[in-house]
Amino acid sequence: MSVSAIEHRAALGGKAPLISTGVTLRTLPEGHVLHLLSASADSDVSATISAVLGCDALTKRSVSPGQWFVVGDEPLSAAALADIVKKVKPHAEVVDQSHGRVRIAIAGAKATSVLAKGTAADLALNVFPVGHATTTLIGHIATHITRVSEDGFELMVLRGFAESLWEELAELSVEFR
Amino acid sequence: MASLIPCPHCGQRPREEFTVKGAALVRPAADAGRNAWLDYVYLRDNPRGRYDEHWHHTSGCRRWLVVTRDTATHEIEGARDTAARTETVE
Repeated sequence: MSVSAIEHRAALGGKAPLISTGVTLRTLPEGHVLHLLSASADSDVSATISAVLGCDALTKRSVSPGQWFVVGDEPLSAAALADIVKKVKPHAEVVDQSHGRVRIAIAGAKATSVLAKGTAADLALNVFPVGHATTTLIGHIATHITRVSEDGFELMVLRGFAESLWEELAELSVEFR
Repeated sequence: MASLIPCPHCGQRPREEFTVKGAALVRPAADAGRNAWLDYVYLRDNPRGRYDEHWHHTSGCRRWLVVTRDTATHEIEGARDTAARTETVE
């Protein structure tokens, strides 16, 4: 197999954070996103994978029954990725999505209100607690939402939709500036 | 059309997140007769009332669901994962 250097350009590289009293939008580093897929949706499998990787609910996020995203801010070396694959392999398949999915952080007292204008998913703290994650539409863009704090969320979106989602969120948050 | 679908994995979601496939019928046995398969593949009832349909949660968990709804009132009786179906060939 030939090896050639690939120049990495962040999908939202030029976007400065949008900071205001009500809501803050930030691009997150394009570290790693691993898609884990298991044939079994048992909660035992989920717990086992968390244990072998030693990760919490904010690192290993639920996608759908038997599927999770493992995310982090640092890029993984080939060796580090191989190590994770080796650990997870007995329980689930690993697909490296680091190049394909981009993360955006939205936080602030009005973050929930901004998202509620774009999605019909119930974001109330009692049904969508910290660490909870789900996939839903924001406008017309399928987005994976994770609650990382009481008033903070991480949005993960396919790379090609990242800029559109960013612009949509910027527009949705105008009234809270 | 019903606008909120109770996805067993994601909770109440708007129908825009879903793709409807059509009637959820019981699949005939592999060696069933020609007429049974012809019915299964091509023939559909158009009932007024309770109806089972396959819905795909395309923009959510991407699972296939069986949604039971009323074609006259648009009321949703429930939704379950197709993997949880227990119907057998009659």
